[in-house]
Amino acid sequence: MSATTLAWLALALPLAGAIVTALGFRFWRGRAAGYVGTAALFGSFACAIGAFFALQGEPAEGRQLVSALWDYAATAGLDAQLSILVDPLSILMLLVVTGVSALIHLYAVAYMGGDRGYTRFFSYLNFFVFSMVLLVLAGNFLVLIIGWAFVGAASYLLISFWYRRATATAAGIKAFVINVLGDVGLVLGAYFLFRGTGTLDFLTTFERAPEVFAENDGELVAGCILLLVGAFAKSAQVPLHTWLPDAMEGPTPVSALIHAATMVTAGVYLIARMHPLFELAPTAGTVGAIIGCATLLIAATTAMAQTDLKRVIAYSTMSQIGYMVMAVSAGAYVAGLFHLVTHAFFKALLFMAAGSVIAAMAGNQNMDRMGGFRRAMPFTFGCFVIGGLALAGVPPFSGFFSKDEILAYTAERGGIFLVLVLVGYVAAFLTAVYTFRMIFRTFLGEPVPEARELEQGHLHHPEHPTNPASGEIEDTEVGFPGPEHHVAEQSPTMKVAMGTLALLAIVGGFLQIPKVTHLLDDFLEPTFADSIYFEALSPSDAATFVGLGLGALIALAGIATAWLVWVREPGTPAKVRERLRPAYALFVNKWWFDELIGTVIVRPARWLGSFALTAFERLFVQGTLVGGTSGIVRAGSAAVRAAQSGFLRFYVALFLGGMVALTIWFLLQA
Amino acid sequence: MTIHLSLLLWLPLAFGLVALVVPQRLSGKVTLLGALLTLAYAVGALSRFDGGAGLQFVTDETWISDLGISYKLGVDGLNLFLVLLTALLWAACTLWADLRGEWRERRQLFFWLALAETAVLGALLAQDLAVFVLFFDLMLVPFFFLTGIWGGADRVAATVKLVIYTLVGSLLMLVAAVATGVLVSVQSGAPLTFELTALVDNGLAEGQQQWIFLCFAAAFLVKMPAFPLHGWMPDGYRAMPLPVLALFSAVLSKVAAYGFLKIVLPLFPDASVAFQELMLLVGLASILYGSVMAFTTTNIRLILGYSSVAQLGFIVMGVFALNEAGAQGAILQSVNHGLVVAPAFFAVALLSARSGGSEDLREMGGLAFRAPVLAALFLIVALATLAMPGSANFVGEFYILLGVFQSSEVFAFVAAAGVVLAAVYMLRAFIGSMHDRVGPRASSQEITVLDGVVLVPLVAVILALALYPQFALSRGEEAINASLVPTRVAQERVAQERELERLEEEGLAEGGGAPVPLPQGAPPQGGGAPPVPPQAPPPVPRGAPAPSPGGTP
Repeated sequence: MSATTLAWLALALPLAGAIVTALGFRFWRGRAAGYVGTAALFGSFACAIGAFFALQGEPAEGRQLVSALWDYAATAGLDAQLSILVDPLSILMLLVVTGVSALIHLYAVAYMGGDRGYTRFFSYLNFFVFSMVLLVLAGNFLVLIIGWAFVGAASYLLISFWYRRATATAAGIKAFVINVLGDVGLVLGAYFLFRGTGTLDFLTTFERAPEVFAENDGELVAGCILLLVGAFAKSAQVPLHTWLPDAMEGPTPVSALIHAATMVTAGVYLIARMHPLFELAPTAGTVGAIIGCATLLIAATTAMAQTDLKRVIAYSTMSQIGYMVMAVSAGAYVAGLFHLVTHAFFKALLFMAAGSVIAAMAGNQNMDRMGGFRRAMPFTFGCFVIGGLALAGVPPFSGFFSKDEILAYTAERGGIFLVLVLVGYVAAFLTAVYTFRMIFRTFLGEPVPEARELEQGHLHHPEHPTNPASGEIEDTEVGFPGPEHHVAEQSPTMKVAMGTLALLAIVGGFLQIPKVTHLLDDFLEPTFADSIYFEALSPSDAATFVGLGLGALIALAGIATAWLVWVREPGTPAKVRERLRPAYALFVNKWWFDELIGTVIVRPARWLGSFALTAFERLFVQGTLVGGTSGIVRAGSAAVRAAQSGFLRFYVALFLGGMVALTIWFLLQA
Repeated sequence: MTIHLSLLLWLPLAFGLVALVVPQRLSGKVTLLGALLTLAYAVGALSRFDGGAGLQFVTDETWISDLGISYKLGVDGLNLFLVLLTALLWAACTLWADLRGEWRERRQLFFWLALAETAVLGALLAQDLAVFVLFFDLMLVPFFFLTGIWGGADRVAATVKLVIYTLVGSLLMLVAAVATGVLVSVQSGAPLTFELTALVDNGLAEGQQQWIFLCFAAAFLVKMPAFPLHGWMPDGYRAMPLPVLALFSAVLSKVAAYGFLKIVLPLFPDASVAFQELMLLVGLASILYGSVMAFTTTNIRLILGYSSVAQLGFIVMGVFALNEAGAQGAILQSVNHGLVVAPAFFAVALLSARSGGSEDLREMGGLAFRAPVLAALFLIVALATLAMPGSANFVGEFYILLGVFQSSEVFAFVAAAGVVLAAVYMLRAFIGSMHDRVGPRASSQEITVLDGVVLVPLVAVILALALYPQFALSRGEEAINASLVPTRVAQERVAQERELERLEEEGLAEGGGAPVPLPQGAPPQGGGAPPVPPQAPPPVPRGAPAPSPGGTP
């Protein structure tokens, strides 16, 4: 089969899975829905592998295939077909998305086993993967926007999966609205590009862009910056990031799949996909790099002060995506995508391990309550440490190579980019510190009661399940988490999923060992062949080795610091907090972004609404504007009563009156 | 089989008359049969419709020859899908009214429903201005009785308000329509006629267009309703029985939107160009005001009502983008909005029945608990209403905003805020009713099969159109282009006049200078229907943006 046929199949299978699981919701027994959904995903992954080999079979210059199903909305000069673009970049994304998704589905089969919304969960999850695959395969802006918005909707549905929790629905609507803001950015950006190029098709746009736009043309820069708005909203970049930490209200497999491995990297993919435009508009590229850099620092510092286990990982995700956005905006495409791949492995692994811990804690995510799980959960502990080493960038784990490549290649741009790289190294130190802060606080120290209970073979189940965020008492019916929890130690399928990812987190970096292997470079070459940076950015041997050494040192120093602070001298955090109170306040309050947005946008909008409702609507529309509608009604009723025979006669009379007036007017005119 | 539009038009009324004489319990079935036959006939018309053939299935009889009124009906790309929408929603809502609700005086209720369908179809099919006005005004009568007799609390006050508002609009329109016919006849020396193509061909002098335009606009904007002419809406929406409200909101407002494209733009092109910014502002104000109100009010009916104000604001903006993309979007969005708002009101009826009769979000909540199918259907409707990409509503909005963008970026940027706000208020309505804590009087129950018979086909149509919006777009292309020709000519002329003024100023600056000849310009009248008259600008090539109004050529 051709690469495009296989790509269509990879797209169709998750959709079919979503529909089949949803329609059969009354028939599925036990974990059947989970296995159906997972099978669809493994099938999709197999198709992706097939598409990969089919594409590699083509000659290098022919590895950009477009396939269209039908005219979707083509009128008024638009060429919007339902089309996909299969090239090395989209195949790379397809492989990562379907592969990691398949493993996370496998994990969720057991992890969500006790939940009353089991079928719904897998239907949503399959729908999400379908949307994500549509996004990465899209061949034109309209299809891209559809995939873009579908992942947003799927993310909303899964964040508020436990929909009877007010905290979950609030987080869901926040995520959805910010994502819609991103969609609008994409739409408006597409308008600017369309006005110049007259096409929505990607390849045609890239072809025509250099002819119609001069370098840094105002229209093009505006279009690219609007595309960046879309990318920032989806990839949780400052200041559109506040939804991501709140999104941790969703079940943990959702956090692993959507809010770590796939959806949130869509912005990185978008910038890489649009690289011909960003290279024509270097200003927009610089903006992207600066925002990415700001995000990676803000998120890393915030992660230092949070106590919610999943939120720390969420801020870490934000920070790592900041690295990727910085890289692809600076032209280090392969480095950014390389980190995207390795990050998908180790971050999904970290979330899975965290999910196992949270299950052992019966849903509680607060690290203040955790400790000493090392003996109770050796497998989870091992996975967490592997993921942590990869995240911290310790050689030879995968994150070490990819983070190093980002910093080395971005530095090659020189100028302001050197400052950004410096910030990147500072944040790399913080990354190692907060990662091992998590590990030490969760797994070392005195075992908490839940850990002791687990050591004796019991999984802790509280008498009254409560919402960990608000403390409200819940039941275990549909709409709330189910009665049973599942940890990796007791579930072979969860172990398989986590074990595979742990292996990938260890060896994933070998794809691109500096000066040794360059598999990704070679594979992605056809997509970036026309790029001005692809060949030009290549660090010298000396720079490469200095970078590698520095990266390894910083990671180890960070781990050592965390060990000193949280294991060796457990009293230190309080002292530091005392001494650096303003900084601590800044970090623990997440740089006050929520408060800022609340003051600047949400509260004025609410105020406007209540003003419109109480003052404007009452006085102006129903009162003054039409001479007081109530007055009119009274006058009208009086007129009707005068006519005494209902409205019909009144109506006729008015009708005739109008005609008479009209006739008189015409007579006067003549 | 040839399609006789008279049959389509009068079929509902004929069955409605039969419904008046059959036993009470059968009246609903008889009317429903009429509505279903109408729907089948409309689908038949769709299957025979030829996208490239202009006005089709024309019926043209002289009616009142002295006044130049002819009974002319026809279908083109502008009204095709609105006719289908009308037939579909009437069938659905008649079924709904028949299945649910204990109505008194059933015979009368169904008769008025049937008459309303004929009135709406008449207004949509009419190809004669007088016939259009007649049917447009006739629409009010059945809704007056439907609201006044079967409405909820405060129905009398609400009805009076509704009637007065729309009556003022209708009278203005009547005056304007008569004036149009007479003035065109006086100016062109042709015999008096109200036939639309003849009126367009002869054209109306530029100076007379403006006040007539304003009269028509007032009538249509009240009907939509658009800000700030929506004063009747909150009370009216609260009072109407839900099946009636669904029709009113889904279909009647679209007749007004259609009127802009079918009547106002071709007949008063110069005024349309002159008032373009005003109308864009009205649309923008409707979007913002409607959205803000929709996320503030807690009555779920009014959320939908204000959201309709916002959606109709988008449609007005699409029409007055005065280009192909905007007009395509406006027509598609008219159909889409009708398709989503009717099932949304149906869902409101179901939700309210499960919340102890309350329609207040504060007293609802948690209804998805035992009703996954209902929740899923309502979710699809809600997502389509907020123009989720992937829905046909998104395609409509995409084209509208593109059209507005091509006219003026600033308007497009501000209007885009309405897209974000729509997400806020629709999700708020969904979460407030379906999710969160179970409300105090809420009892979650799955929908019955009978409810499903009404709701599921409508949702299926929404999904089908989402998958293939091209089906509607490609059939509208030709008629939309034709209805835009006169305004294009007018835009061209405005541009030329500006150019001339500029040249004159430059000439004066150089000291007198020779008079600059008017570039081969268009006569003051609007252009004709296709074929494109020679003075019209060449059709805009595909891929190129339409000429921006008042911009440089």
